[in-house]
Amino acid sequence: MTLTTSFERPLVVTKRMVDYPNDSHTLERYRATGGYEGARKALGMTRDELVELVKESGLLGRGGAAFSAGMKWSLLAPARPAYLIVNGDESEPGTFKDRQLIERDPHQIIEGTIIAAWANEVNHAFIYIRGEYAKPARRLQAAIDEAYAAGILGDDVLGTGYRLDITVHLGAGAYICGEETALINSLEGRRGEPRLKPPYFPAAIGLYGQPTIVNNIETVSNLPHILVNGVDWYKGLGHPEDTGTFMISLSGHVNRPGNYELPHGITWRQLFEEVGGGIRNGNELKMWIPGGASAPWFTPEEHLDLEITKGAAAGAGSMLGSGAVIVMDETTCVVRAAERVVRFFAHESCGECTPCREGTSWLEMILRRIEAGQGRPIDADLLLDVSDNINIGLTFPPRQTTICPLGPSATSPIMSIMNYYKDEVLQHIELGRCPFS
Amino acid sequence: MSDWSEATLERARQIIARYPEKRSAVMPLLYLAMAEEGWLTDHAIEQVAELLDLTPAQVQSVASFYTMYKREPVGRYLISVCTSISCMLCGSDDVLHAIEDEADLPAGETDDDGLLTVEHVECLGACGGAPVVQVNYELIEGVTPEKARELVRWLRNATPAVVNTDEMQELFGGRRSFDWAIPTEDGAVGPYPAFQPYGTVGQDRRS
Amino acid sequence: MTTEQKTDTVKITVDGLEMEARPGDLLIRVAQDNGVYIPRFCWHPRMRPVGMCRMCLVQVEGPRGPMIVPACTTPVADGMVVDTQNDTVAKAQEGVLEYLLINHPLDCPVCDRGGECPLQDQTMAYGPGESRFVEEKRHYEKPIQISELVLLDRERCILCARCTRFSEEISGDPLIEFIGRGYNTQVNTFPNEPFRSYFSGNTVQICPVGALLGAPYRFRARPWDLREVASTCPHCSAGDSISVQVSQNEVLRLLGVDNPHTNQSWLSDKCRFGYEFVNSAERLAAPLVRGSDGELREATWVEALDIVADRLGGILREHGGGAVAGLGGARGTNEDAYAFSKFMRTVVGSNHVDARMDDAPASQFLAAVVDRARIDDIDSAATIVVWGPDLKEEHPTLYLRVRAAATGFDPNQVVSNSDGLKIRRPGARLIVMHPRRTGLDDVARHVLRYRPGAGGELLTSLQAGDHPEIDEALAAGPVVALVGRASMTEDPRLAENVAAWLRDKGAKILPLARRANTFGALDMGLAPDLLPGRVPVGEGFESWGEIPTTVGRDTRGILEGLRDGDIKALIMVGADPVADVPDSHLATEALANAEFVVAIDMFHTESTAYADVILPALGFAEKEGTVTNLEGRVQKVNDIVAGEGQSRADWSILDDIARRLGKELGFATAAEIAKEISEVAPAYRGITWDLLEWDEPMGAIVPYGDATQPLQYVPVTTSLPTVAAEMVLHSARTLYDDGVLMRHTPWLHRLAPGAAAYLHPDDAFRLGAREGHRVRVVTKHAEAELEVRLDETLHRGVVYVPFNQPDGPRLGSDPIVRVTAIG
Ligand SMILES: Cc1cc2nc3c(=O)[nH]c(=O)nc-3n(C[C@H](O)[C@H](O)[C@H](O)COP(=O)(O)O)c2cc1C
Ligand code: SF4
Ligand code: FES
Repeated sequence: MTLTTSFERPLVVTKRMVDYPNDSHTLERYRATGGYEGARKALGMTRDELVELVKESGLLGRGGAAFSAGMKWSLLAPARPAYLIVNGDESEPGTFKDRQLIERDPHQIIEGTIIAAWANEVNHAFIYIRGEYAKPARRLQAAIDEAYAAGILGDDVLGTGYRLDITVHLGAGAYICGEETALINSLEGRRGEPRLKPPYFPAAIGLYGQPTIVNNIETVSNLPHILVNGVDWYKGLGHPEDTGTFMISLSGHVNRPGNYELPHGITWRQLFEEVGGGIRNGNELKMWIPGGASAPWFTPEEHLDLEITKGAAAGAGSMLGSGAVIVMDETTCVVRAAERVVRFFAHESCGECTPCREGTSWLEMILRRIEAGQGRPIDADLLLDVSDNINIGLTFPPRQTTICPLGPSATSPIMSIMNYYKDEVLQHIELGRCPFS
Repeated sequence: MSDWSEATLERARQIIARYPEKRSAVMPLLYLAMAEEGWLTDHAIEQVAELLDLTPAQVQSVASFYTMYKREPVGRYLISVCTSISCMLCGSDDVLHAIEDEADLPAGETDDDGLLTVEHVECLGACGGAPVVQVNYELIEGVTPEKARELVRWLRNATPAVVNTDEMQELFGGRRSFDWAIPTEDGAVGPYPAFQPYGTVGQDRRS
Repeated sequence: MTTEQKTDTVKITVDGLEMEARPGDLLIRVAQDNGVYIPRFCWHPRMRPVGMCRMCLVQVEGPRGPMIVPACTTPVADGMVVDTQNDTVAKAQEGVLEYLLINHPLDCPVCDRGGECPLQDQTMAYGPGESRFVEEKRHYEKPIQISELVLLDRERCILCARCTRFSEEISGDPLIEFIGRGYNTQVNTFPNEPFRSYFSGNTVQICPVGALLGAPYRFRARPWDLREVASTCPHCSAGDSISVQVSQNEVLRLLGVDNPHTNQSWLSDKCRFGYEFVNSAERLAAPLVRGSDGELREATWVEALDIVADRLGGILREHGGGAVAGLGGARGTNEDAYAFSKFMRTVVGSNHVDARMDDAPASQFLAAVVDRARIDDIDSAATIVVWGPDLKEEHPTLYLRVRAAATGFDPNQVVSNSDGLKIRRPGARLIVMHPRRTGLDDVARHVLRYRPGAGGELLTSLQAGDHPEIDEALAAGPVVALVGRASMTEDPRLAENVAAWLRDKGAKILPLARRANTFGALDMGLAPDLLPGRVPVGEGFESWGEIPTTVGRDTRGILEGLRDGDIKALIMVGADPVADVPDSHLATEALANAEFVVAIDMFHTESTAYADVILPALGFAEKEGTVTNLEGRVQKVNDIVAGEGQSRADWSILDDIARRLGKELGFATAAEIAKEISEVAPAYRGITWDLLEWDEPMGAIVPYGDATQPLQYVPVTTSLPTVAAEMVLHSARTLYDDGVLMRHTPWLHRLAPGAAAYLHPDDAFRLGAREGHRVRVVTKHAEAELEVRLDETLHRGVVYVPFNQPDGPRLGSDPIVRVTAIG
């Protein structure tokens, strides 16, 4: 889609699919547009050089935690075999960027995987894709088959003698398997329950007890470009503190929802007006979720002119997370919206730890009761107190009483509506019905 | 105990061979079991357990963790309606009701003919095209309540052997979360994802 | 269980108190050892932490301010500052309790756990007041039976993963697992596969609420009505520590006690539920004598004892002490055994006495093998060899111990919900030799199977170096070998040959024999070649005055003597040779031919059917004393219920007979016997009841302190013939069988696998028999028709028939067998 924006929009990971909408997924097109040159270059470098290069580039993980990719690689423990897992579980409500990358440019992922695998001395990489992405998985598998046939994967990667296998592993409907240690358990054939921390990174102990790197689909998709074009080029895109571009999945009440590759540093206003084409039906913007369902919400009054960077979002008590932006206009009932988000986390809780298992469902029940007009005066405080027992002090990032951040994520919508729309919640309780229906 | 065909067992062995440790094959084998038996019967669980040297209780424990493994019979067409936040904001609840009404089935149930199962699910990762529906995990975006009804009627009357995402999008879909551009021919033949982890290139990686 | 290499210590501060600890120890354990109790549900000191319940949340000062962490998954580090009580912690803990309670039913008044429930207790201590939860609770069908012995009430479950962890990691039979996810998680079994584990009862004991219930105990008593006493399990020679719980003079429940040297709190279900016999209606309540009509009738003690003295006295006068023999004594206390031993030597004047029932290796080997290992040595062994019985069937808690060692199990290891063995410390190399699949094969590094009758051949090939991988493992460092008799049809001397070979390789030996107090009985001299305190017959043992000095006959010799008429009279003390001796036909002939048989027993048995006088004996939980386990650990057993009817302690019965024969044993109470043992039995010097109850809470190893052990027996090698036959018989015991105590414990007796002929599928095919068909099995002395069960793990040419099954055949000890299909 062509957009006219007041800022420059350099395209990196989506360039090929924009330029060649009909065959960006084929090996032929991929090669014709410089494909696998990055991998070729990487295979000529040492692990240390690659780790240094990626650190230098400032590439941050795009899976949600925004941790330096190069730094993560440098933490890989010495034991071998080591494994690489590319995380394509993408299940956070509002997020659908990885799906596009998989469907439209699978070779870019394979190339990124080769680079990350080589850099981490891995001979067997796994790409874990959520079960509901059957079509993207087929397309990726077809690309992998092509790559094997062309000598890009297998026993002699690109003629260098390096051996790399890639196995596509399909999830089966569990958001928690996006959390890297739950993913590893899932890949080991267990329940997708997160593992205890420490160790904080599977780079120490991961798949089959071996050192393991987990990188997001979008993260690895950036690697070929960094290798081909260099660190300076990459740092020159976007914001000085937040290098490169990032994918935003825009959904909800905007006129032009969709995935957009954007430079860091534009403002939310620019995003909604210039990219999203404004709020639907000319309605007023009420609030938005800036970084996937786990993130505390933003409101136009306070946050519209904030820059979109990791730092600015954190400074305002939220995060860019997985890059999912969910927009809600003035017709939205906050109780109903919060209930949907909390319901998600309750449904997806693995059930391992008590506060998340019991607390998220309890929150969902209270919200549902309020929305149904059966709220009690104490319910507003109860919502906060039940949340407080999952996320002590109701802060962000949370001080969690749980093993993983899923449980505390369910407190984000509660904190948000109680911060900004407490009156509306109380109104539900007083009226004994939802004022919006 | 086994009454799976030798061809299926061979596929199972191929899948197992593709992982460094046997147990890792449990998820693909559960899909294989669904393809073989339609849903995860006790027998299917026992079969997978036997292939992987696990107890049936262990396999059941894993299977029951994931929503896509069905421990009860499912219809030939599994209609999954996303009702998570983005879809909800764009009217998914109406779409769900339309489907429930047209199929005369409350979410979570299967009709007597074993043709349709309706369920509401959490985010399907297509929020830009909300509201979205999947049939046998093949996606349709931008669905309206009216189109949703048509979809149900079509499944009932045309009973397509293979459900194909592009065909359904064409017939019943609307705005998409991104431009797919590239149509595919293949699709799903049962209420499990149309993805075959076997039969593709890959080496025996048993160590 | 952590290895001792880490000698350095760290200092931490908990609630202002300074504590020292080994680095890596879990905070919850360190705090508890130093007097600070942090509440918990999911953590169990003998299991890997999972940090699931979150009850143990505490505050730890971190580089970025205070953090709330679970104490059960936090290893201590030097300088750590911990607060377990401040407002934040209190609120967090209260919050967790509230979460656990919102879905917990309010049925404490009808719950077996009511009154001893950690959830109830902690709610009192830390819990919120009124419930703020107005929603509907989760509902599940009320208790469902998940095995013959265990019920599950899922509504009460707090999902702590104790039962699932135990089953997967400790006992190795993951039959109970989480099902579902999140709020709908429950624990359950697979529909077609009940929780049939030999260790299922442990999950009942460690369940922190009343979700798992032992069927035998259900609704039997309230905790506050129970009295309890510490004791030792009467079912096998591992010497597991237990608590015996009683209400209204009836034993109602046994719990495992954490003896770090033996069972480490675990029990097999045989031990846990195997007390029903105490309360059995079939207990003998009064003496019985055989009338001139050949029928048994009740008699008074005076009448019965007079008959015994009269008949024995007559035989002694006519034929001398050598015409009287004694069998048994392995089921009672050391005090009983000592009295029996002294009776035989000093009153009868005979060394024909044996506590082994011809099913165990040589007595001196069992009692006094040189370089004997302790159970604890298993934990630190680099290599473990098991050549003998299937531990899971015969020594179930030892099986757990070896399994833990082989899997590198470490309760301090913080790696959640992944049993990925590689993450653990490397386990010991386990080598198992056995004629068929054993419970340990799954965790063994090397498994060697052999045909019964050809064990000697395997040993020879090992000695010849044909198995370099075994040599390598044996060279790897501390080796512990558990050695016993693997099959009733294997030459009993094989075990000693094996021990001799392994000892040459530097192994410490743990000798195996199953019956509970076999080792205590041998140590008390209930063997033809042993006297109390591990003194060989014929060597200086002054305390008893003049006693016979030549080695007597063992069980087989005694039975042959009775059969042939060389021996006239037999005294059986808790012995049932017809059922226990492998060559049952020999026992039957012997008893039938005996001139006079007196039995001291709790029950009628197949052997008492031949007795002229039967004297009712006290049993488990009815008498006080000591027992000795297979590593030589002496522990107390205690009484807590009154004895059945007129039954009396073995020692006192024997003392009464002695008096009537004009002699005296010289003690009036069991305590006096204990005192005498501690004075006259060299290896037992200094072991008093007081010591065992107060100074050595978990038992004392013999020889104790500076006491001596006169005999240091070096295993000898004998050349063993190899049995060459087309088919050979393997016969071994199973945990539940038709033994006397099991027979009177119906809830376990019905779990015995039953008689069957297990065959390799190839052999079955060759015979034209399928699973479920019947075959005829013919041995030298017996034959039987049995159902076929297929077992791919058997050697070809072997038929396995479990020993001593309800309605099962008695096929004898000869390995040569003929198997033919029927019809
Ligand atoms: C509850 C939860 C869900 C997550 N889901 C995803 C996901 O779907 N995809 C993803 O890439 N990362 C997800 N993450 C983050 C991963 O744990 C991990 O940080 C990421 O895959 C690392 O890749 P990156 O460094 O390239 O971002 C999730 C984390 C949590 C706590
Ligand atoms: S916070 Fe929730 S999802 Fe995360 S480990 Fe605990 S129960 Fe599982
Ligand atoms: S005891 Fe620590 S989390 Fe349960």
